[in-house]
Amino acid sequence: MKTYLAQRLGIAALTLFGMSVVIFVLLRLAPGDIVDILFSTGGYVNPSERVAIEKELGLDQPIWRQYMDWLRHMATGDLGKSYRYDLPAWEIIKPLFPVTLELATLSMIVAVLLGVPTGVISAVRQDTSLDYVLRVLSLAGLSMPSFWLGMVIILALVAWIGWIPPMTYVPASENFKLHCIQFALPALAVGYRSSALITRITRSALLEVMREDYIRTARAKGQGERTVIWSHALKNAILPVVTVIGIEFAFLIGGLIVTETVFNLPGVARFLVQAIAWRDYPIVQTLVMFTAAIVIFSNLAVDMLYGVLDPRVRIGGG
Amino acid sequence: MASFRYAVAVWTALGTLALSPIDFALAQTPKPGGHLNVMLREDLPQGFAVHETSTISTSFPSMPCFNNLVIFDQLKRTESLETLAGELAEKWSWQDNYKNLVFFLRKDVKWHDGKPFTSKDVKFTFDVLREAPDAPAKLRINPRKDWYANVEGIETPDASTVVFHLKRPQPSLLMMFASGYTPIYAAHVPPASYRTTCMGTGPFKLKEWRKGEFVDYVKNPDYFVKGRPYLDTLRYVVIENRGTRMSALQSGKLDVSFPGEMTKTIAEQIKKAVPQMVVTTVGQTVSDNIIMNVKKPPFDNLKVRLAVSYGIDRRGLIQAVHQGGAVPGASLPPKPWGIWGVGEQGLLALPGYGKAADEKAKARKLMAELGYTVEKPLKVEIGTRAIAIYVDMASFVINELKQIGIEATLKQVETAQWHAMATRGDYQIGANLTGIGIDDPDANFYENYACGSPRNYSQYCNEQIMKLIDQQSQEVNPQKRLEMVLALQRKLEEEAPRPILDWKLDYFSHWPSVHNMIPQNNIYNYGRMQDVWRDK
Repeated sequence: MKTYLAQRLGIAALTLFGMSVVIFVLLRLAPGDIVDILFSTGGYVNPSERVAIEKELGLDQPIWRQYMDWLRHMATGDLGKSYRYDLPAWEIIKPLFPVTLELATLSMIVAVLLGVPTGVISAVRQDTSLDYVLRVLSLAGLSMPSFWLGMVIILALVAWIGWIPPMTYVPASENFKLHCIQFALPALAVGYRSSALITRITRSALLEVMREDYIRTARAKGQGERTVIWSHALKNAILPVVTVIGIEFAFLIGGLIVTETVFNLPGVARFLVQAIAWRDYPIVQTLVMFTAAIVIFSNLAVDMLYGVLDPRVRIGGG
Repeated sequence: MASFRYAVAVWTALGTLALSPIDFALAQTPKPGGHLNVMLREDLPQGFAVHETSTISTSFPSMPCFNNLVIFDQLKRTESLETLAGELAEKWSWQDNYKNLVFFLRKDVKWHDGKPFTSKDVKFTFDVLREAPDAPAKLRINPRKDWYANVEGIETPDASTVVFHLKRPQPSLLMMFASGYTPIYAAHVPPASYRTTCMGTGPFKLKEWRKGEFVDYVKNPDYFVKGRPYLDTLRYVVIENRGTRMSALQSGKLDVSFPGEMTKTIAEQIKKAVPQMVVTTVGQTVSDNIIMNVKKPPFDNLKVRLAVSYGIDRRGLIQAVHQGGAVPGASLPPKPWGIWGVGEQGLLALPGYGKAADEKAKARKLMAELGYTVEKPLKVEIGTRAIAIYVDMASFVINELKQIGIEATLKQVETAQWHAMATRGDYQIGANLTGIGIDDPDANFYENYACGSPRNYSQYCNEQIMKLIDQQSQEVNPQKRLEMVLALQRKLEEEAPRPILDWKLDYFSHWPSVHNMIPQNNIYNYGRMQDVWRDK
């Protein structure tokens, strides 16, 4: 297990290094830089001012030197300074992660609470009217983008009751009730979409397991249908579901862009898009690296969970 | 004659109706206290560094922090020399036939950190802006340096007097001083610090700027206008999604819209949902225009430029793209949305403003003279900024040009590249939007039509036009100046380096509980919030 963990951590480090090169180079290959944007807000371009700003921000250096400088600073914990805000990147980024992590976690909780039971019911009641209804609902969830659903929820609320959730972030420590209200709707919108996927995976995995010999054996031994499904079948069917949950969670960290925008939540994804538009390299690089780290480590956590859920993985050592 | 009298009566009635909300608001007794949530469509691009940017996303939410020497009366809709009001300057006086401008400053003004405001701060601000040889600091970007090109020197005989010495008379300099883009910076803090915080003398002190979320202000208890501001707190809420912004306004999460944000269609929808919403139609001083690179073929040829101008149906554009929320005009906005623009009758004589079919026929004739027809068109590339308000207009223009023998392919240019590309002249023809900081010929002509100006995207340079621009700038008689400005606009449209297609209107909206929030016919110069109050 230790060897397995060491291997995975080694791969994670290599992936992060690769990501750092890719994001650094890609950003600089994209047309335009922060200086262009600054001049855009100024509405004109003065070549001598341009040269001065490039020098001030170190953008006059060759890319490889900029990269080496960035790595050196990262190693000492210095994430650089936001070009746009003229403030340390960490100061800007720090408040964003809790918002996105909370939204992603709540969405996954909604998704699991909705998706696993409906998947089980759908499998157990295969080809009944209930199964068809649940399948239609899950298909609808997959077909509806969560941002669209979010926008529809907001428009419906304002049209019907003239109310929408708070438009500025309310920390839980400030007003817990309002905080919950603020996160409930986006978590439902995102969670519903993810639950649809979980429903379908749970259903198909469970149907497959239900046809296995050991299920028939369990029934033949006189075990109740509830025990057969929840203790024997679901336990064996859950591995692909866990994989999907891991992938979905990792996706949500960077994939909540439009949901965060629609519900006006100050999270990582929304800010990342703004930073890219502004070519705010230090912010983009730091956000992408942090997001990559979260994705890599959430995958690692899922792999570790396999070991807990499936003894064969533990025995096989990976 | 009877119809004239009828028209006068109708216009008088309409005028009375239009003005009544203001009169009603002024008649009520203002109530101190309360909080206001104001719409912001994006985070402040350069913090509060108003002098380093040209976007309303910076200037509007910065207004409560600052003061100018003078300002356009915030309780009036029109901006002109007649509506100027003193702010940091108590009085001002032109001397030596408009060559020296003397400001007598208030003596009871303090910066938000308690330090006294003096004439040194004024000199500091304008020396930095005009990049005087002995300027104590330098701005990272200085987009309005040209506004102060005529200032030769600034003297401060004492702590409460400032004298601006001009190279030649320029009565409209006062207009520049009144712009939302001309706040006075503190001499005791570096200009770069305004990118992250705000040191002002204004009615509100900055409490917090949470990046990407909101800007919070609290009432300045030491404000020099006694009893002002009325409000205790202000919050500018950043909401990037337009649908969410409008839902927030409709639901009452926001009290006030953002200048230039409300289209006619959106305003009508909100008014239908919330009949008590106060919607005021004002000019934006933002035009849709076509920029043609006069240094490059084929637009170095006046006939091609004129054909383009004749070929675009302005009124059709206004209906199709703005659903009626714009008005036709030449290079300055027409009355009642501006002071200097060519009126409806005058426009009819200019290229492109007549009956669409007739104008198109003229355009086709010009193109035919050059050997191009609808079947054998001139092929060009039309550049535009890759955002909806630009692309919608460009798409309409492409369709219009097709009908006169010009086949234009659309090139969408990212925001980061657009201004740089236009300034370099790295394009043939472009669909562009231009906002003018103040409704004054100097601000517009020197910026957009003067030889060598970085924002003269057409690269147009005409010595005769330059002379006319200088002449009108020095003219002290307003009526004579207006005549010169009208003639200049006609000439510019006949030369067609930058045909103006329309001037956009704003449908500024706020809840009825908000009073004295008076939008002006220019999005850049209101929002001080000093007199705004609410009755709940």
